[in-house]
Amino acid sequence: MNWFLNRSTRAKIVFSFGLIFSLLVIITGIALYDIWTIKGSQRDVVYKDFRQTFDLMQIRSNLNRARAQILELMLTKDRAKQRALEQDIKALATENDRSIKELTKHYRDEPQNLAKLEELASTLLAYRKSRDEQIVLIYRDKVDEARQMGIGVQEERYNKIKDIALEIEKQEMEHARERVGQSERNANMTLVIFLVIGCGAFLFCVAMTRALTSGIAAPLRLFTEVAERVAAGDLEVTIPAINRTDEVGGLAQSFRRMVSKYIEMAGLTKRIAAGDLTVTVVPQSEKDVMGNALATMVVGLRGITGGIKEGVNVLASASNEIIASTAQVASSAAETASAVNETTATVEEVKQTTQLASQKAQQVSASAQKSLQVSKQGKKSVEDAILGMSRIREQMETIAESIVSLSEQGQAIGEIITTVNDLAEQSNLLAVNASIEAAKAGEHGKGFAVVALEVKSLAEQSKQATAQVRTILNDIQKATNAAVMATEQGSKAVEAGERQSGEAGEAIRVLADSVMESAHASTQISASSQQQSVGMDQVALAMENIKDASNLSVTGTRQVELSAQNLHELGQKLKQMVEQFKL
Amino acid sequence: MAAGQKETIAGQPKGIDWTGLHQRLAAARTRISRDLSADEVKGILRARARALARLPVAEAAQGALEVLEVLEFRLTYETYAIELCWVHETCPLTDLTPLPGTPAFVAGIINLRGRIVSVIDIRRFFDLPIKGLTDLNKVIVLQGEEMEFGILADEIIGTRSIPVANVQPTLPTLTGIREEYLQGITADRTVLLDGKRLLGDRGLIVNEEG
Repeated sequence: MNWFLNRSTRAKIVFSFGLIFSLLVIITGIALYDIWTIKGSQRDVVYKDFRQTFDLMQIRSNLNRARAQILELMLTKDRAKQRALEQDIKALATENDRSIKELTKHYRDEPQNLAKLEELASTLLAYRKSRDEQIVLIYRDKVDEARQMGIGVQEERYNKIKDIALEIEKQEMEHARERVGQSERNANMTLVIFLVIGCGAFLFCVAMTRALTSGIAAPLRLFTEVAERVAAGDLEVTIPAINRTDEVGGLAQSFRRMVSKYIEMAGLTKRIAAGDLTVTVVPQSEKDVMGNALATMVVGLRGITGGIKEGVNVLASASNEIIASTAQVASSAAETASAVNETTATVEEVKQTTQLASQKAQQVSASAQKSLQVSKQGKKSVEDAILGMSRIREQMETIAESIVSLSEQGQAIGEIITTVNDLAEQSNLLAVNASIEAAKAGEHGKGFAVVALEVKSLAEQSKQATAQVRTILNDIQKATNAAVMATEQGSKAVEAGERQSGEAGEAIRVLADSVMESAHASTQISASSQQQSVGMDQVALAMENIKDASNLSVTGTRQVELSAQNLHELGQKLKQMVEQFKL
Repeated sequence: MAAGQKETIAGQPKGIDWTGLHQRLAAARTRISRDLSADEVKGILRARARALARLPVAEAAQGALEVLEVLEFRLTYETYAIELCWVHETCPLTDLTPLPGTPAFVAGIINLRGRIVSVIDIRRFFDLPIKGLTDLNKVIVLQGEEMEFGILADEIIGTRSIPVANVQPTLPTLTGIREEYLQGITADRTVLLDGKRLLGDRGLIVNEEG
């Protein structure tokens, strides 16, 4: 057993499987041999025994068939058919001959059977001869004679043949049966051998399995357990002392070394954990990951601890500063919050005013549109007014012309009046002269004096009338002048009106333009108010955010303060902790 | 003509009453174009006559006084009169040709139906202050035995019979005319000129030799 165990695992396995394989080969060889034997036996049976039997049976059958055909030949009258039948019979006979030849060849070594066969052959020959005679007879239509022959001699010969054949057949059957029996016995024996070998192999396998299990699997399981425990961290494992020279032994040694190494490392680590940073870790090689790491770790720890010691001091001072500045931040955050509140309120106000401005701007825009309409109407009215004024001016001119003609006619009247007045004057003088003459005439002239007075009175009346007419003419003239002046003034007024209408139209146009501008401006104001409102919303939102952020910052500041306190305490704790470590 | 003018009542322009205007114009037109009927003419003339009517005969018959037939004329807002017996005729002043080398009171000469008559401006003759603008377009031709000249007048009022009793002797301070040429003055300040003296005045004769 020890020898087995000390072999390498490969050898063990090879050995085990080789053994099993050889057993398998043996069994296969035996099986093959047996199969080959049985095959041979079978072939013998078939080709030797059965073949003969078959041949003999074939001969018999052919003979039967020939007999039937002879009978048919006897019965039929059709020559063609007879000939066909004859041919058939001849073919059968040829076949039988062949078969006999074969059998003869086969039975060369068996004199007994050979004799029988020869007897059979001779009998067959005689039979055939008689058959031929039969056929001839049949061809000659001597059917009855043929039949007689058939019943008599042929029947005898036929039976003899049959018997011999049957005999040989029986013999052959016996042979065959013998052989089959032999084969059977061989097979049984082989089975037994198989069984034995199988059992042996089974037992061997069991033994092998147990050996391998105990030799390989069990130690492996053990080592697996150990490895699990080591992996779990429990280094207090005992490695079984397996001093084998195979892989398991090697594994055991390696495990032992590994565990010892781990224990060593653990020891170092414990020391480090205990605070002794003066340990020096010597890695076994540059492939010693843990050793290298541990060494680096120790160095690093030393450095870190030193750094931490320095850092703790800095931390203490920094945490103080943080606390101070957080206090400031908290106060300024409070200020920021109040300022944000104010700003939010202001933003609300601005938003209100913006909305108002937007509304107003929209109103202004609407009223500007209306004003534009109105100004268009006004322009049209102004143009109409100008048109009316020009018409008035034309009328004025017409009036002035007619007044002027009137005045000219007044002048003509005046001239006429002057003439009439002259006439009246002269009439007056005439009357005076007449009265003078009448006075000079004395008494006789008194009648004439009356006439002269009448004439004078007429002249006076004329003068008065002309004076009236002149007065009226003067009035007419004055009125005409006044009318002309009025017309002139009216014309000037109309011109002024035209000009003013033009100016008004211009002013309306300018107004319309400015209204349009103001409409545009108001639209823009409205739009910008919208934007302003949106912006204000955003500002309000931002203010909210700022407020939230400020609140957050306040809470954060408090948290920072707390954290600073914690940091301070932490610093103290760190200091205490670090003092544990000896550098 | 106040028709057709707009009236402003407390600043409200009143519209022109065109229809009334047209009616009035149509009425006037018809009035102008149609002829006055005979009765209307008579009526008008009678009215005028009544206005001018005087009863010179009745005046004379009132007191059977002595009357003077005088010709009244106006000159520079003063009413003068001269007896008819010295007056030849009156005529309008036409074509007055001034004569150079004549005294100032000689206005010039006129051609009266073929006769050359000299015209005197009695204002200058009497050294009356020439004030105011006057017509001075009438000439009263005075004729005496030897003299004949005309005097300028603004207007011939007419012949009148003045009762002698109404004529008063003048005061020298009343008029500027020398009293020898004045015959008197009436109650209604009509200055009665002495025609005889005027016509016989040597000062009026203008001679080259003298």
